Amino acid sequence: MKSRHFIPLLIILFLNPILLSQERFRKYPPNPEPLPSLKLPEIESWTLSNGLKISVIRLTKIPVISLQLIIFSGESTSPDSLPGLATITSKMLNRGSLNLSFSEIEKTIDLIGGEFSVQTFPDYTVFSLFFLEEYLDTALKLLSQMLLQPTFPRQEIENVKRNMFYDLAHKRNNPEYAGKKLLYQILFKDHTYRKIFFNDDIIKKYSLKNIQMFFNKFYCPNNAHLVLVGNLNLSTASRKVSSYLNTWKKQNIEIYHFPPPKPLEKTKICFINIPGLKDALIFSGSSLPPKTDPEYFSLIVLNQVLGGTPMNRLFMNLRESKGIAYWAFSEMEFYKSCGIFYIRARVRPDVIHSSVLESLNEIRRISAQRIPGHEIEQAKSYLIGNFPLAIQRYDELASRLSEIKALNLNEGHWNKYYEKIMYIDSQIVFKSAYNNLLNPPIIVIVGDQDNIIDELLKFKTVEVYNNSGKYLYQLTKEQ
Amino acid sequence: MVQAILVFTYMINKKCLVAVAFLHLALSGFLFAGQEIKNSSFPLTYFQLENGLTIILSEDYSLPVISVMVAYKVGSINEQPGKTGLSYLLENLMFQGSRNVGRMQHISFIQRIGGTLSARTDREKTLFFQTVSSNQMAIVLWLEADRMKSLSISYTRVEQAKKAIIEEMKQKKSHNLFQNSSLLFDKLLFSDYIYYHPIIGEESDIRNISLKDVLDFHSTYYRPNNAVICITGNIDKQKTIYLIRKYFQSIPAGKPVPAINDSSQTPELTSKTESITNSLASTPGFFLGYRISPPYSRDYYTMSVIEYLLLKGESSRLYQRLAKKERTAQKIEGGIIKIKNRAIFSFFVTSTNNYTRNRSKKALLSELNKLKSNIVSEPELTKAKNLLKTAYIKRYATSLGKAFFLIETFLNNKDMQTFQDELNKYLEVTPTRIIGIANRYFNDKSILVNIEIK
Repeated sequence: MKSRHFIPLLIILFLNPILLSQERFRKYPPNPEPLPSLKLPEIESWTLSNGLKISVIRLTKIPVISLQLIIFSGESTSPDSLPGLATITSKMLNRGSLNLSFSEIEKTIDLIGGEFSVQTFPDYTVFSLFFLEEYLDTALKLLSQMLLQPTFPRQEIENVKRNMFYDLAHKRNNPEYAGKKLLYQILFKDHTYRKIFFNDDIIKKYSLKNIQMFFNKFYCPNNAHLVLVGNLNLSTASRKVSSYLNTWKKQNIEIYHFPPPKPLEKTKICFINIPGLKDALIFSGSSLPPKTDPEYFSLIVLNQVLGGTPMNRLFMNLRESKGIAYWAFSEMEFYKSCGIFYIRARVRPDVIHSSVLESLNEIRRISAQRIPGHEIEQAKSYLIGNFPLAIQRYDELASRLSEIKALNLNEGHWNKYYEKIMYIDSQIVFKSAYNNLLNPPIIVIVGDQDNIIDELLKFKTVEVYNNSGKYLYQLTKEQ
Repeated sequence: MVQAILVFTYMINKKCLVAVAFLHLALSGFLFAGQEIKNSSFPLTYFQLENGLTIILSEDYSLPVISVMVAYKVGSINEQPGKTGLSYLLENLMFQGSRNVGRMQHISFIQRIGGTLSARTDREKTLFFQTVSSNQMAIVLWLEADRMKSLSISYTRVEQAKKAIIEEMKQKKSHNLFQNSSLLFDKLLFSDYIYYHPIIGEESDIRNISLKDVLDFHSTYYRPNNAVICITGNIDKQKTIYLIRKYFQSIPAGKPVPAINDSSQTPELTSKTESITNSLASTPGFFLGYRISPPYSRDYYTMSVIEYLLLKGESSRLYQRLAKKERTAQKIEGGIIKIKNRAIFSFFVTSTNNYTRNRSKKALLSELNKLKSNIVSEPELTKAKNLLKTAYIKRYATSLGKAFFLIETFLNNKDMQTFQDELNKYLEVTPTRIIGIANRYFNDKSILVNIEIK
């Protein structure tokens, strides 16, 4: 009798003998291994006699070099009357030099298997060139021709202006762009960072004269830093860079220090009308300390808990629990003189008012109640896991280094990142939230007025703007 | 033998079972030791488990990052008329939960640890990939194994996925203004239905897909013997092999995968010109295509260099002539499209009006004629090859890029021992070869689709 019971069991075991033992480990997710050490490559630096600083990271993985030239002047140094001047000046650098036309510059970049791009940030400008390592000399020669002998051809100025115009025209009715632009415009009303966003009507004012003026004032070696990532050492890099850029003349340079913007005295609600928009967008923002502030690391943990990904509080509350938003996130952006914190959410047009209140409730909750330890640990796990993913490519590593140099950041933003994040706990985050998130925010709503007027009238007063950020009128409950 | 030991052990002492199961893993693993490839610019090991699952490993210790990619050798080419969209639907279902992983939990597990993930279905394969911190490898393998072993396929989930795909289809239609003309172009280029039907599927087919269709398709193609796993980055090879065996070895193999039902010989292309009115787009344009020699043949490598001469980089011939000099084109795209043993060289141009469209076409044909009769200068050829070289090298600049590169290499049946010499096959192309190849393939057997606007 006993042996009969064994027969089916034997069959099962013969068919899949290790099934039973495997089910146990398949049932629950395995634990991670201990955190690996973070050993980023060494940075070697040198300064040429004309003040140009060079930093080199030697990597031999692939035979290419990523070069980045940082100019420590960005959009914040554009004249108040000419926002965007820093941007157009940077876009003109590859448009022609004494011996090379724009098309010859393009051809040279293609010849070295290269890619060239320019990015103008609020505090600095970065020129990136990626090329095959055997063309280091050609790349440096090209860079020196662009920097030392730019001609800013009039026709090319017009071409760049036209491209900038079309680009802004294209973005104008993009609700995300319009909302963020107005948020910056109001938050940085009396601050130089308001120039980060500008309107197309300013473009016609750019001229050869003011481009040249901006270039002459800020493009000098003692206001620049050259970053090279690839298979080369500091001595080769210094020698070669020096031979192409030692005639770049040093000059007196004005150093700008901008204080952070003053916080708002009371909450302000603004609205941009974009006819035809089906849903509504909500932005709610206030200022933060700069990236150099010791609170930076607790702030990014805080942001992660609040709304860094779809698993976090805002998304879970507004979308998953209340069903009023398509998505809801929080963001932090950091500059040299300050940072900015904002919530962005895409919501149903009939629940704008409650979405705004719910977002503000989440800010209040995170600033008033200490975050449970498991949420803090989850946020830290995300940040630590995600950090090395974004510096795998040579150009990504170069960009990280450029930011460190431009914003005067310390080791916490390089090799000590894991330690800095690991140190953060509930108490530290609580303090950061209390210190930084309770300033009255600016709230920007973007939507189709005809669809959402009832929702807008639920607020006491709403300032109405057009999609270029021009103030139109005030909407009050009494109306 | 090991199985016998196991049963015997069970009868004697249940407590020993777990220990002996691991012994089984260790022993059977020994039988399938990996093949290490030397003579390569990055380390490479590949081997197969007993169930047919292919494993490719490549270590790189520069950062604490790994990528895991699972490729199933199934795509739209494996679908039959009336049943299109099955592979794309299965891609969707792979995120809807398995025996031990809830709906969409795969995504939240990866995102919670700061990782990134995605999936992709094309004509020939379906890829699932994630990049995470290197200490998190076990959880990725646990997740991938769970959906390979025990994907939850139910009537409700299939219906939910169908609904989501039909919605996505509508979105795509409104975003891709040239979808209809592009589909017509594919139809004329690839006469076999399995080669040209939309990867996302036909809407009517998706509506009619039954639970049984999905179960049959899944049991045929989503088995370890039809899959490849590639792990790249900061890995401890021994530990990785141990984990792979632990999670994947006991997943049973499926039946042999049926061969693709296409015409054994590539049909000759006959010249065709058609027009299509595009109600969505506001600009006219055209598609032009030529059949070229099969992927990875000698002529194919030459054609790839021609692709760079004509279309890649700001100073490429067509961009310079059509967009910069004559300014008759708004958009110029194109290059080589390859599906299995077929390859096409295609061009897609849009212009502001019919006059500039026709001028663009004329200019394009004259550039092709120039290629057939004038020798390409050495500097121009070097430029094209250098752009190609950078693009080629950049493919394995990240752990995920390398996983894509290795999976592509393996699935295209390239020799895993020598594939790294492949770049030389492009770089060896000479100016005289370019003339010969341009004459051979840019012939009168072309497919032209004119896009008209209302």
